[in-house]
Formats: sequence, C-alpha cells, structure tokens
Amino acid sequence: MNLETLINQYNQSAGIWDEMHDGENVRKQYDKIFSILHHLDVPTLQQKEKIANELFMNQGITFTVYSDDEGIERIFPFDIIPRIITAAEWNHIEKGITQRLKALNLFLVDIYSKQQILKDKIVPAKLIASCPHYTREVFGIKVPHDIYIHISGIDLIRGEGGEFFVLEDNLRTPSGVSYMLENREVIKRIFPDLFVSNHVRKVSDYPLMLHQILLSLAPPHISNPTAILLTPGIFNAAYYEHTFLARQMGIPLVEGRDLVIDNHKVYMKTTRGLEEVHVIYRRVDDEFLDPLVFRQDSLLGIPGIISAYRKGNVAIVNAAGTGVADDKAVYTYVPDMIRYYLNEEPILPNVPTYQLSNDDMRQYVFDNIGKMVIKQTNQSGGYGMIMGHTIEEEEWEKAKKVIENDARNYIAQPIIKLSTVPCFIDKELHARHVDLRPYALYGPNGIQIVPGGLTRVALKEGSLVVNSSQGGGSKDTWIIDEQV
Amino acid sequence: MLSRIADSLFWLNRYGERSDVVIRLVYVHYILSLDRSANTSGSWRPVLELSTAISSEEISKIENDTTAALRKILTDETNPNSIKCIINRARENARGAQDHITKEVWEVVNQMYHSVNQPTLQSKLRTEQAIKVIEGLSKSCVLFAGITDNTMSRGLGWNFMQLGGFTERCLQSIAIINKQLQQNSFKENSSNDIFHWRQLLYALSGYEMHLKTYRTQNHDSNVMHQVVLNENFTRSVIYSLIRVNHYVKNIMLIHEDQNEMLLRTFGRLFSKVRYMDLQAMETQELHSFLNDIKNDLVAFTNQLGKYYFSHS
Repeated sequence: MNLETLINQYNQSAGIWDEMHDGENVRKQYDKIFSILHHLDVPTLQQKEKIANELFMNQGITFTVYSDDEGIERIFPFDIIPRIITAAEWNHIEKGITQRLKALNLFLVDIYSKQQILKDKIVPAKLIASCPHYTREVFGIKVPHDIYIHISGIDLIRGEGGEFFVLEDNLRTPSGVSYMLENREVIKRIFPDLFVSNHVRKVSDYPLMLHQILLSLAPPHISNPTAILLTPGIFNAAYYEHTFLARQMGIPLVEGRDLVIDNHKVYMKTTRGLEEVHVIYRRVDDEFLDPLVFRQDSLLGIPGIISAYRKGNVAIVNAAGTGVADDKAVYTYVPDMIRYYLNEEPILPNVPTYQLSNDDMRQYVFDNIGKMVIKQTNQSGGYGMIMGHTIEEEEWEKAKKVIENDARNYIAQPIIKLSTVPCFIDKELHARHVDLRPYALYGPNGIQIVPGGLTRVALKEGSLVVNSSQGGGSKDTWIIDEQV
Repeated sequence: MLSRIADSLFWLNRYGERSDVVIRLVYVHYILSLDRSANTSGSWRPVLELSTAISSEEISKIENDTTAALRKILTDETNPNSIKCIINRARENARGAQDHITKEVWEVVNQMYHSVNQPTLQSKLRTEQAIKVIEGLSKSCVLFAGITDNTMSRGLGWNFMQLGGFTERCLQSIAIINKQLQQNSFKENSSNDIFHWRQLLYALSGYEMHLKTYRTQNHDSNVMHQVVLNENFTRSVIYSLIRVNHYVKNIMLIHEDQNEMLLRTFGRLFSKVRYMDLQAMETQELHSFLNDIKNDLVAFTNQLGKYYFSHS
C-alpha cells in the first residue's frame, strides 16, 4: 500500500480541528511533506520508524518502567510525521506568550514585594495565602534584573475552530526541551530530503541562548562567572535532559551533595578543593532546595543555599517561589493580570475555568460533570485528573466528597477536544490529539521563544491526555515560512 | 573537576577493565573445556573462585555444569561481581558523569548495558549460541577501550579513567597469576610443558607473545617473567604499574600539586616490583610477594580516594 491510499483513508472526526486536513483537502502547509511521502511505501516508513527508535535507545534517551520488580528501559514513543505550524500561527503564539510571561513575571515581582495586586483586589489575597507554592521564605529577596521566570513552557491547545488556548503555565522547572532538540536531530537523520524543501526554522540555538542568560545573571562584580546545572541525580525521570543541557552548554552537572555553603557563598567540591559557584540552573523543586528553609528531610538540597541567595551571592534559575504563578487556581486570574499590569487585552485566551471553592460554580460543574475535567491545582504530569465523560458513577460519588472537603485545591474546565494531527501507527495514518509546549527564555534582554516546541501526542485512540507518564508520545514540531 | 565525577570516571574504567578480564577468562575456559583430556577436568572452579565470592560448597554444586556456571558469572544478579552487575554499575557511573565523557563513550557503555540486560540472553546462554554471546561481550569491552582512547580529550577526566583502568588491570593480573600458582607450582615441576601455563597466558592474552619472545625451554620462569616483569607485555604487573605511575603524575601535574604521601606510597610499591629478584623466589614466596603488592596497591587507591574523591 502506498501513502496516497493511506492519506485518502485518513479519518478525522467531525467537530475536531485537524491540522493536516480541512475535511476536503490537505492543508497547504502539509503539501510539501506529503508530496514527498507519496513516493514512499509503508515498509520504508516502518524502517524509518525503527531507525528513529534505535537512535533514541542507543543514546539512552529512555525512562524506566518498573514491573515485576524488574526495571525495563523504554523510549518515549516518537511519531515520525512532523507537526507543522505556519509562520502566521507562530507569530500569534509568540506575541501571546511574550505578553503572558511579562504579566506573570510582574505578578511575581509584585507578590513577593509590595503586593499591590492584592491591595487592589484584582486577585483575592485568600487565594494566594492558601496556595501551597506561595513561598514566604523568599519574600523581599531582590532577584537579578527582577526576572523570576527565566525558563518556561506554556502549554497550548487548539480548540474546535483551530484557535489557540493556554492550558497551563509551567513556570517552575518545565522539562521536555531536550526532546524538542533530539526529535529534530532524529527527523533530520530519517528525512534529510524533507528539510531542504520545507524551510523549517531551526531550534538548535536554545542551549546557547540559555547559557547566555545564565551567565548574565551572575553577581555583577564577577568577571568570569561559574554557572552549573543542579540535578536531583541519575534516578530522576528527566536526568537525560539534565545531562543533555549541561553538555550542550558546557557547564558542570552537579548534585546537591557536590555543593557546600560557606559564609553565604556556594562552592562545589572538586579535585582541586572548593570552587565558587555563581549561577545555579536548578532542576530541583523549591521544597527540596534547602533543608534549613523548606523540607528538612530533603537529601537533594544544599543547607544554607537560600541564605546565599538572599545575600545575592548566587542566582537561582528559575527563581525560588515561581510556583505561585502556575498554580491552577491562580491561572484563572492571568487574563486579569495582563489587563492590570500591561493595560492590554490577552492575546491568547485561557480555557474557561471554574473555581470549585465558589459554591455556584461547583454546583454548575457537578451538574455538568459529563462535559468537565477536574484538576488538582498543585498537580502536574496528568496526575490527579478526573475526566468527567469516562468516570464511573461510584468513583465520582467518592471523588465528589473529597472535592467538597478541599475545594480550594480543585478547578474544573470544560473538556476541550484538542486538535488532531496524523500519526503513523500500525502501518496506517491515524488522527491523534496533540498539544504544544513552546519554550520561552526570559533574560535581561527580553523574552525569546525558540521557533518550535514540544508537540505531545495522546497515542491512544480518542485519548485527550498527552502526558508522557500517561501513555503520551511526541512529535517534531516545525514552524515553516509559507511564502517560500 | 567535581570530586564525584573524578570518582565515577575512575570506577567507570575499573568496571570496564574488570568486565574485560572476567569475560576473557570465561571465553578461554569455555574453549579449553571443549577439548577435555584425561588431566583436565573442565571444572569451572578456578573461574568461579576468581570472579565470584560464593562459598566452596556452592561452587561444588555448579562447577561441572557449564550453563549454571555461566549464569552465575555472567548474569546472576545475586552475584555482585557478575558481568551484568559490573556493567550496570559501569553505566551508572557513566550516567552520573555523562557530561564528562564523550557521546561515543556513553553510547558504547549504554549498548553494553542493553546487551547484558536483554531478556533473551539467558536462553541464548543455554544453547550453542553461548560462545557467540561471550564473544560479543568481549568485543564490546574492546570497543569501549578503543572508543575511550580515540574520543576522550586528554584532560583530567581521561587521566582518572586510565588510572582506574590500569589499577584494576594490575589487581586482576595478580589475582589470576596467584590462582595459577595455587594450581601449578613454579619451578618445583621439572616438566617442560608449556601447556601447563597455557590457560594463564590465554587468560592474559599473552600466549602468542610468549611464543615469539621466549625461546628457551625454561617455561616456568619465562612465563613468570612475562606476566610480572615484562614491560612490553600490556597485562604484566610491571606494565600496569608503569601506567598507573604515569597517570598519577599527570593528575598531579594538572593540579599543580605534589602530594608527597601519595608519591611515597606508590614509589615504594613500584620499586618493590621493579627491583624484585624473580630467580631467587620459590612458589610460596612469589605468591605472598604478589599478595603484598596487591595489598599495597589497594592501600594506595584508598589514599588516592581520600585525597581526590572525598565528596560526602
């Protein structure tokens, strides 16, 4: 069977935005890809898929699944058909994310100093006070250049009409950027011919951009600063990414046990003795960062690091305390923040969100549970989600009680049918739901967004959950300039 | 360089070298056991004693069962020195130091890891494919050494890796020689039979070199000279020590720091071997001499660890 028949058999569902097919024809941006794919047959595609998987496996881009006490290494499933976004769409995304990040960063500066937004009653003080990620310990610390969110991955989805929504803001230690970069390398290996004709914007500058930003955050009097990447260690699920980024930037990859604090300065233990560290790109969560300030049982952190941070002897990236801005209950107020701090209308809308602590809203959600998804405000990775259209009656009754007792920690959103793209599964092309996580970097010179991002795919038919921990895969994401 | 990284790199190569030695032992024994004769039993006991820490009774149970012995040595996870465990630990060290080794080195370690962890390995070892598996593993050890040599920059990391590798090689060579000395006494035996020493020379891959280098019929002392004192033989005790000496000096040079204590400890042990009088030694004497060298070397690595690797 050749590809042409496959494309003709491609089945998209009504009422869902398909990014490749508009119901009658293949969209223009996918033309070039398919004109090349036409000449290939299924075994060739399978061969390419196999090569891609081997590339991931041999490089150790794997995660460990435990079953029967035995750890099996798996790769994150990768789909070989790229996902394409046009320059015009990207332009819109870029503007929207830049605007949103500016507002979120101003919010963080404000909330850890004057708290004007609470005084003006734009955001209820109660909401912040009850947020587990609001970090009193860093109140009043002046961060370099007033930047909190150096690295972010804002998740976008497309609704039924193709319009983009912000699903969530990941402002703590968003991961996945190595997959964006590695996916691209693998696609280049298996489809070299596609690249030449498509004018795909390149993503490979990301590590260099990040390195520049890290160095620019060092205390100003240091002429040759040392930046490091702090990892929880080899058992962390994202460890591959940590090594990847450290290697790409040429900075040491360090664990908490490699660091000591002396006189409010941070040092790493080397074969030459102690060496001072000025900038820490940490991939350790706030609560594990400093056992003297946060969780006392943390073995991953460095006792005293927050005091060094307070003194301005070390920069921490992302700044401590950013979790308050990506809390799912605070998310509802981001459009108001944009209006409040920037005096602009939001470019990228939120998904409508219901606070379950509000009695009327809770009632409405409970009455319409079939159309809703309920999320815990402080969870990520697709954990703690209740999909209203699939939950069993009995389970729902139980969940309802839990929610009523702890309403602040839950929100609900209408289930949005994410857009679909073609995936090569079981020798055929199938429509699968996707989201998009572009990666933004915020340095003293402004916000830069790498033209690309991580497209996550829900590989199970009909599934709307794209998280890798829940059976999701990924795709390479191309931003292409159409006019050429 | 972070102390933890230096430690990991040192051990990465120690494990790499150890798997190389153990796999070669297994390979040689497997082949030799095929042509059993009246005076060779084919028992796996010597190999099991060298590469595992299991009790003599347990060895008695499996020493004549090739499949069970191979399983114990290669894939048994309850044996902390099995090839599977060694390679798993090598990979763990490589992972922890991933940004200090080249992508190529990482990939070869990772491939070794996947090949000892493949689910079908166990069943292959039961069939005549076993020898193919062993050969494959042996080849990847050589590949690891070669890729390391070809791709690593000659910085601190490389020096720590090599230091670990040659320390391990010296310890392993001593262990294998001593095992052989337990079986064949040296000089007492008047027979001029080289076959007698063949297993030792094969295990250290020095048989060909022996035939080309030593022309007299005095096999016992020739063999001992080769494995202990021949500076051109890459698995001799003296060769490994010369390399260790070289890398310790390099490391001190890079650090611009002479550690007197380390230099003295090593110098003492090195001179002992360099100026030993092989001709004057009886079997038992040689055996305990080599044991002393082993203990000195272990003490030296402990000192080295305290000085460069103390990170916790």
